[in-house]
Amino acid sequence: MSKNRKLKKDFFEIKWKTDLPYRYSIGKLAVKFFEELKVNKKILGSKCPKCEKVHFPPRAVCADCLVEMKIDDMVELPPKGTLEGFTVVNYPFTDPSTGGIRPFPYGYALFKLDGADTYTMHFVDETDVSKMKIGQRVEAVFSEERKGDLSADIPYFRIIKEEE
Amino acid sequence: MKIPKHDVAVVGIGQTKFRSKRRDVNIPEMIYEAVKMALDDAQLEPKEIDAVIIGNMDHFEGINFSELLCGIEAAPGYLKPVVKVATGGTTGSSLAICGYHNVASGIYNNVLVVGWEKLNEGGATTGIITAFDPVWERPSLAGALGPLALMAGMYSAKYGITPEQAAKVTVKNRSNAANNPFAHLQMPNITIDYVMSSQMISYPLRLHDCCPQSEGACALIYANEQETKKITDNPAWVHAVETAHYYTFGTDDKMFDLPTATIASKKAYKKAGISNPVKDLDVAEIYEPTSWSELSWTEALGFCKPGEGGKLLDEEITQMSGELPVNPSGGVLSTNPIGATALVRVAEAAIQIMGRGEKRQVPDVEKALAMGFGGSLWTEIMILGKNPMR
Amino acid sequence: MTDDIEKKVYRGRIKVPYKHTGGAYVERFITEIGKSNKILGVKCPKCNKVHVPPKMICHECFEKMDEWVEVQNQGIVKGFTVVTHSTPIMPLEPPFAYGIIKLDGADTDFVHIIKESAPEKLRIGMKVKAVFKENPRKRILDIEYFEAI
Repeated sequence: MSKNRKLKKDFFEIKWKTDLPYRYSIGKLAVKFFEELKVNKKILGSKCPKCEKVHFPPRAVCADCLVEMKIDDMVELPPKGTLEGFTVVNYPFTDPSTGGIRPFPYGYALFKLDGADTYTMHFVDETDVSKMKIGQRVEAVFSEERKGDLSADIPYFRIIKEEE
Repeated sequence: MKIPKHDVAVVGIGQTKFRSKRRDVNIPEMIYEAVKMALDDAQLEPKEIDAVIIGNMDHFEGINFSELLCGIEAAPGYLKPVVKVATGGTTGSSLAICGYHNVASGIYNNVLVVGWEKLNEGGATTGIITAFDPVWERPSLAGALGPLALMAGMYSAKYGITPEQAAKVTVKNRSNAANNPFAHLQMPNITIDYVMSSQMISYPLRLHDCCPQSEGACALIYANEQETKKITDNPAWVHAVETAHYYTFGTDDKMFDLPTATIASKKAYKKAGISNPVKDLDVAEIYEPTSWSELSWTEALGFCKPGEGGKLLDEEITQMSGELPVNPSGGVLSTNPIGATALVRVAEAAIQIMGRGEKRQVPDVEKALAMGFGGSLWTEIMILGKNPMR
Repeated sequence: MTDDIEKKVYRGRIKVPYKHTGGAYVERFITEIGKSNKILGVKCPKCNKVHVPPKMICHECFEKMDEWVEVQNQGIVKGFTVVTHSTPIMPLEPPFAYGIIKLDGADTDFVHIIKESAPEKLRIGMKVKAVFKENPRKRILDIEYFEAI
């Protein structure tokens, strides 16, 4: 095997690593969301003034109606919801925000907050799929010190076990 | 419905042998192989090409503005219009549809489209993450496979589709791939057990439920009816194209049943005069990033009722010997050079129409469907036929 | 709404490792520079133009090229600029010049460093010659720079 490797042609290649800093304007609704999250531990979605669909995460335009949602259209949502889909990510890949391998395995789920009409993806605190079920209740876990960043302020959602 | 100005046909096809690594060639050299093959196939001189449309996803190789590197050196774009198209997984089908529009509208008499990717030089998962929202989606997103795993789990829970049925898709497609000299993963002796004992990489997806990362390129030449007559008496005519884009965030809706595929295919069937896709189509080349997705997509495309994708497979309708073979080429589960992947679907559908599929040929193909999937659950459809629409 | 709100940005980074296969043409070119201080080009069978650096396809004729020719290590400056500001990715500490150089025997130009920073000593049409690195590492900077003859 090692002999074969030596015989294999050593092709000419150049390796590099990009490291591109960027600044992304998050938009007024997200600013309001993170302010409320930081100061009052509240979760806000945005409600379309036309079709009344409640979007979480909040966003500025309702894709169905192409109608703008303003800060006045933001509504508070409970930090609880229902699990709609789940997986455990169990493969290595480079996380572009760090340049390193993202730690795995991790629980990753699709859920709907109570009162929201759209779905959300985030980390969940479970890596054993036999303990996860569609329909389970989930709850946002808030950091004590919040700084206006999703992964720092709500690092994951917790699956509420049935006995609780 | 607007009537296109011209009938348009595929008159030249080129593709590289797809592999996990092409360390013997750089990007333009690799693309040139497919372009040259398409030109030779149509017996056209480079100078006879009117315009070039090229596509890939920049973040996968870290080469931004890649048409600069490739539009001239790898494709005959010197002093001609060269346009770049990048729409994620659908890049190849967007290329196919843009090329079609440019000829159907009468702007050009012919157009060369080429899609490519060299995924071993960067990576799809990392690149895909950079396509999504930095605040809400990037932190937890695991490329395409994370969401595809969620979709597979939800689909399985809703309809009772089993991991065995999913594994059977991989077995079908990778054994079909053994008949396709261009396919990347050719596994004539693959078994259900082999798929089901492979590593769990994101429940319920095992390694062999997922598409590979491939390197290679695919090129097509389109021509209007007058030019087509001069080039070949065996073209593949475009009967219908349709695109359906979805929400910005994949999570705006529940992630199964792929509504865009249902919407786009219904419109395309209407244009192409197809009332019963299983009866009226002779072959389908669909974009299945995972084994589970093929089952779900066959439902969304109307090949069977919702929830019956597993039954359709069990009844062998989508097998090579079935009423509507799906992915005789081996599909995406065998070959996935992302910017070329959906264009390979169109190329393979055209090959079937032309009767040039050799060992992977389905007998007497009159109508074929090609599908692209990607972005935020987007679908693109192209229907090809043996005869012009008018 | 305060100005603070409207200005808020998320600061992120995109850090991704990549590699790039050079291909046989680039490899032979780079290897010859390091091994024998020879600069090679390829000649188009149709238009007879010699391309340096070499590449597989003549973009004007769309012909595959495989006739290798050696060109001179010296040539003519067709244009230049003097770099005076420093950034971390510069190959040399400024000031230095970038030149468009056409090597004798080549029909194409390529950009490289000219180790001369006084604009009055640089002019279009001046002759320059390649200075090679003592310890080549298979990079285009194995031609360390060009200098005035």
